[in-house]
Amino acid sequence: MRRRTVLGSVGGGITLGLAGCLTQDGENGETGSGSDVDDSDESPTDDSTDTDDGTETDGEDDELSGTLQVVTYESMIDGENPAGPWLKEAFEDAYPEVELEWVQLPDQGINHYVNRADEGVEIEPDVYFGLNIDDLVTVDDNLEDGGLFRDLDTDEIDRADRIRDGLDMGDPHGRVLAYDTGYISLVYDESEIDEPQTFEDLTEPAYEDALLAQNAQTSDPGQAFLLWTIDAFGEDGYLDYWADLRENGVRVLDDWTESYYGAYMEEDRPMVVSYSTDQVFAVAEGNDLTRHQVGFLNDQGYANPEGMAVFEGGDTDLAYAFFEFVLSSDAQAEIAERNVQFPAVEEEYVDLDEEFDEYAYVPPEAVTVGYEDLRGNVDEWVDDWAREFATH
Amino acid sequence: MTELRLEGVSKRYGSAEGGTSALTGIDLTVRDGEFFTLVGPSGCGKTTTLRTIAGFEVPTEGTVSFDGEPITDIPPEGRDVGVVFQSYALFPHMSVAENVGYGLQFRDPPTGTTVDERVSELLDLVDLSGMGERSPDQLSGGQRQRVALARALAPEPDLLLLDEPMSALDARLRESLRLQLKRIQSELAITTVYVTHDQEEALAISDRLAVMRDGELEQVGRPQEIYREPATRFVAEFVGDNNVLDGVVRDSEVLPSGRKRGRTRVDVGDTAFELEGVSEDARRVSFCVRPDSLSREADRNRFTVDVETTEFLGESVRAHGNWNDIPVVLRLEEVPDDTVTVGFAPDDVHVVERW
Amino acid sequence: MLFRRLEPVRGWLERRALWLTALVTTGVLAVMLYLPVGVVFVEAVLVDGTPTLDHFADVLTDPFYFGFLADVIADPLTVGTHLGALAGWLAGVSISVSLEYPVPGVGVPIPWLGLETPGVRMGLFGFTAYQAALSTVASVALGLPAAYVLANYEFRGRRTLRSLTILPFVLPGIMVAVGFYAMFGRAGTLNTIFGLAGIGPFAFVEANPLAIVILAHAFYNAPLVARITVAAWESVDRRAVETARSLGASERRAFRDVVVPQLAPAVLTGALLTFIFTFMTFPIVLALGGLQLATVEVWIYDRVQRLDYAEAATLAILETILSLGLTYAYLRYESARSGFARTSASRSVEPLFPDLRTAFTPKRLGVLAYGLVALVVFVGPVASLVVGSVTDGGGFTLRNYAFLLERQLEGATFQTRPLPAIRNSLLFGVATLLIAVPMGVTVSVLTARAGRAGTVVDALAMLPLAVSGIVFGIGLLQGLVFGIPLPGGWRFQVTGAVAIVVAHAVAAYPFVTRNVSPLLSSLDRAMVESARALGASRYRALVDVELPLIASGVVAGAAFAFAISIGEFSSTVILAGGSESYTMPVAVERYLGRRSGPALAMGTLLLVVTAASFVVVDRVGGRYEP
Repeated sequence: MRRRTVLGSVGGGITLGLAGCLTQDGENGETGSGSDVDDSDESPTDDSTDTDDGTETDGEDDELSGTLQVVTYESMIDGENPAGPWLKEAFEDAYPEVELEWVQLPDQGINHYVNRADEGVEIEPDVYFGLNIDDLVTVDDNLEDGGLFRDLDTDEIDRADRIRDGLDMGDPHGRVLAYDTGYISLVYDESEIDEPQTFEDLTEPAYEDALLAQNAQTSDPGQAFLLWTIDAFGEDGYLDYWADLRENGVRVLDDWTESYYGAYMEEDRPMVVSYSTDQVFAVAEGNDLTRHQVGFLNDQGYANPEGMAVFEGGDTDLAYAFFEFVLSSDAQAEIAERNVQFPAVEEEYVDLDEEFDEYAYVPPEAVTVGYEDLRGNVDEWVDDWAREFATH
Repeated sequence: MTELRLEGVSKRYGSAEGGTSALTGIDLTVRDGEFFTLVGPSGCGKTTTLRTIAGFEVPTEGTVSFDGEPITDIPPEGRDVGVVFQSYALFPHMSVAENVGYGLQFRDPPTGTTVDERVSELLDLVDLSGMGERSPDQLSGGQRQRVALARALAPEPDLLLLDEPMSALDARLRESLRLQLKRIQSELAITTVYVTHDQEEALAISDRLAVMRDGELEQVGRPQEIYREPATRFVAEFVGDNNVLDGVVRDSEVLPSGRKRGRTRVDVGDTAFELEGVSEDARRVSFCVRPDSLSREADRNRFTVDVETTEFLGESVRAHGNWNDIPVVLRLEEVPDDTVTVGFAPDDVHVVERW
Repeated sequence: MLFRRLEPVRGWLERRALWLTALVTTGVLAVMLYLPVGVVFVEAVLVDGTPTLDHFADVLTDPFYFGFLADVIADPLTVGTHLGALAGWLAGVSISVSLEYPVPGVGVPIPWLGLETPGVRMGLFGFTAYQAALSTVASVALGLPAAYVLANYEFRGRRTLRSLTILPFVLPGIMVAVGFYAMFGRAGTLNTIFGLAGIGPFAFVEANPLAIVILAHAFYNAPLVARITVAAWESVDRRAVETARSLGASERRAFRDVVVPQLAPAVLTGALLTFIFTFMTFPIVLALGGLQLATVEVWIYDRVQRLDYAEAATLAILETILSLGLTYAYLRYESARSGFARTSASRSVEPLFPDLRTAFTPKRLGVLAYGLVALVVFVGPVASLVVGSVTDGGGFTLRNYAFLLERQLEGATFQTRPLPAIRNSLLFGVATLLIAVPMGVTVSVLTARAGRAGTVVDALAMLPLAVSGIVFGIGLLQGLVFGIPLPGGWRFQVTGAVAIVVAHAVAAYPFVTRNVSPLLSSLDRAMVESARALGASRYRALVDVELPLIASGVVAGAAFAFAISIGEFSSTVILAGGSESYTMPVAVERYLGRRSGPALAMGTLLLVVTAASFVVVDRVGGRYEP
């Protein structure tokens, strides 16, 4: 926790509007580098001396105390009816001595922390909440293998067993636990087109100039859809498939917002790559569901599980307590409904609203390109694909 | 009041080797209370010299001093000079009075006067009483010029610098303003440096003047000296109408009028002339004859000019023509025929170059 | 007494004020611009500490980036082959003039110069330049009529309208994209209006994505062109036009001979800025046009995402070289023209619609027609955004605003609240203006008459505009937020509100300089010199004489500085970190979730607050104009 006091003074400076400052690394003997394994191994000892009664707790110990800093993406805490505030309140109710502090994920996402670790700059938060598989790949491609986050001791987290098969995210270092998942699917207007059944259908004249997708370079659903086609056609076949799609007039826009709220909702095109929870929003918005039909190609949806992990310098006791809590039935239901994603735990451990069940679709088969396949490949796949599109 | 001295002042633009030279080794003293003019064709360095005196340019070499105190490194605002520009540079967003009073916030008005009193005093001096509230836009060219003068004089500068202040005005106005300027200058006895390309103006207004060419001083002197005894061919041609002839000295030969002491025979082409003042060692000379020295009546040194154009000037006629392809300008009493034969007295010439 | 000593302290300060400002400006630029940009740029030329040009060689010879030029660069000496290829290509070019109907279903023919070329590979850079050139033409074409109307006619709300021309500048790209879809989509506002008349719907966006992208670029930049040109137009002296006409020039001829030369520098400034901005456009091209229209900046973003800083930096350096080169060329032109002195102009404005009869003259009809176009292009997308914020599937709703209100009243500390965003934006805007104006004016004063060296410095001073925004952001992060390690385990870090303001000022001051420099260099130099000979320091001469005479440029520059600060997103996000220093565009971005409503409501708030501020800025500034 000493590290935090150092940074705390910097933070104080920020609120006072301090423009420049000098800070010294390694005050109190810490080097502050998240990539320094030896150091991080010592951290729990440091922490336990600060939090007197924090020794060797299991997840249910309600005498834990201290502050847990959790970094997460905007919509978890800042959108409409987000899950974050509920999680904070409920977690703090369960552990009255613990404060959960949400930290907004910087604009560069995981790269921010990869850069920090790379530059030897301290990493303040304890937990990263909202980690994707390809984030892990980015970490391992740029830092040492298995870096940035701690290997989790799942024996310490009882509810880790509740997580559904297929959502283990495939990290060989076991650094991450899934807490929810989304499925990439098509959303289409049934008054304009029939539901496409297969990937090949999309290259048929019936779907000429019909599909809106997103740039895999800049957009998460965009990259997911690209990976889905790689899963379907293989590394050697996906570019040919995309050439056919291009021939048939697919439009690849920058990001989900403009493709959905721009081109799709303004009826420029009848079909868009989106999420299988689309109708939940459409109903909330009071929209006619004709234009919010969910289609699963090849009876599949591409799963995008979101996970949580502990930074190498993070407080494991508090983090494990938090993970345990996140995987509880109540939390799983709240996260799913507020975040409009699907729970990570098996059905028996979670009770969802009927309305959510009715409008959020789970694909018959979930596919995902795993860690091992992504590792060392994803950048090239995306680049080859993007160059095909942007060649002038 | 102030004596101004420039010593070895040079100004180069650009790098030391590759640059262009604007001024080379200017040595100049302007005496206390003197009306001194820098005259020369455009690009001769006269304006640069003025700007160096004012402090707008820093000389590459040399010093500028006021009353023996070097001021080369003092910025313009520390120099106590009044400047009037060709464009007058009146501040368009200020009234006439505000313009005139502008310098008085930095330099106190003379003891015993307030700023307002000083401003109206100056407006009186330049005959613009009561115009203080006007905007410069509402003034005529001549009035603007006088406002600029009043503005420059208001803080009682040590030195008055005028950069072609008349060039934007018509001839008649120029003449009356010139008189007024001269009157004010001698009334105030303020050391004044005046820059003009108009040699006639320079001769008329100055106590002394310097003729400049290519960044160097050609000649410094009183107007009469410059006019009568130009030191170089350039000055001879630049100042006033003049006829410059090049000839070969034939000392050993008999003069057309027989041998006389101090006279030398000089042949221009095939024509022999008889001149005074040619030094003994000269082999070739350039000499000049003013148009009013050429008369039909003169019995020496006669030659016949083909007249090309004539200008009627009222009291006299100016004729331009040529003699053996040498351009000649004459001043005659009446309009000449196609050709006119004139001559000049041997002592009515001035030798400007010899070698 | 030869020269009187000035009052000691004030005098000392005044005499050095300009140099002190210059020193501070240099310091600010060093820390907030050169350091962060340098940190990234150095990645392009250093591999493990060894200097190399390999990255440049790779990029320059990659046909994906440089098209046919890549071959020439790769093998520059085989001139014969290249000439042969060129000849073959030229032989295949054909030019045709035809009437096209660019708006689908609408019978408005437009003469179209068809250029048939046998598919030359432009490469990413070539295409980027191509779309930037088209965008520049469109922006000038849409901006000049606005400048004409605003400068030459008097009508109710003229000043307000002139103030609001800057509004598009502050809109986040994503808002503009959504606004364009909401206006031009098949279910958009325009088609709804056509639907009332029983025609349509037309697929405007689908028909020609490039055209829509260019229109969106014009949406951003035509107001910029207009704004700069209006300032110049207002200072054209009516008497000069009258003189020309009295000499027998027709109205058109007088316009061409007298007005055009005086407007040209302003128009070219606008065109230059537009070209540079649209060359580095992001993310509008992809949001409206799609990946086929990707530009260099998209690839820089991608490379940064993939942590390939070397290639990102290489691409960014090439962008910067191009932008600075163009800027330098322009500045040479500008300085070659300076000295054509501008006196205080006597303006002539006429009422736009004095009476019913004149309302139908061709000129007035032209103004009306342009007004209609402006309504569609500029007002349409903005209005559609506002409409979007108060509608949902069920029709009119205030729930998005209720969300903002609720968030303001009940939001947790880690959540983004509207009022702090508004307060921060306005505070940063004003602070930016206060820093950027002295910085910009100082650069103008020091470079305006400094000859070729001045032009070089002036061009370099435009660096903030010529550097990829993405690279600048990464540089800020790596150089300032993470900090630079110093000996002894110390780190030099710069973050927080002041850092945000200074970063905004760095981005904004070139606008002040570009607005001020042309006016400053066309002022009679003798004005300043007269003041100085009368005892004023350089600083006092600037304050007493020059600034009042170039007030219109300073005010225009100040308005731009304010706008840049309000609209700036990336460096704000980076320097604010998780702190409370978020601004309105940041709030828009943070409210953007799966539902667009809250973000649209916040965007509308941004528009209203900004519009009100600009009216105030112009009113306050207007008092200093002659």
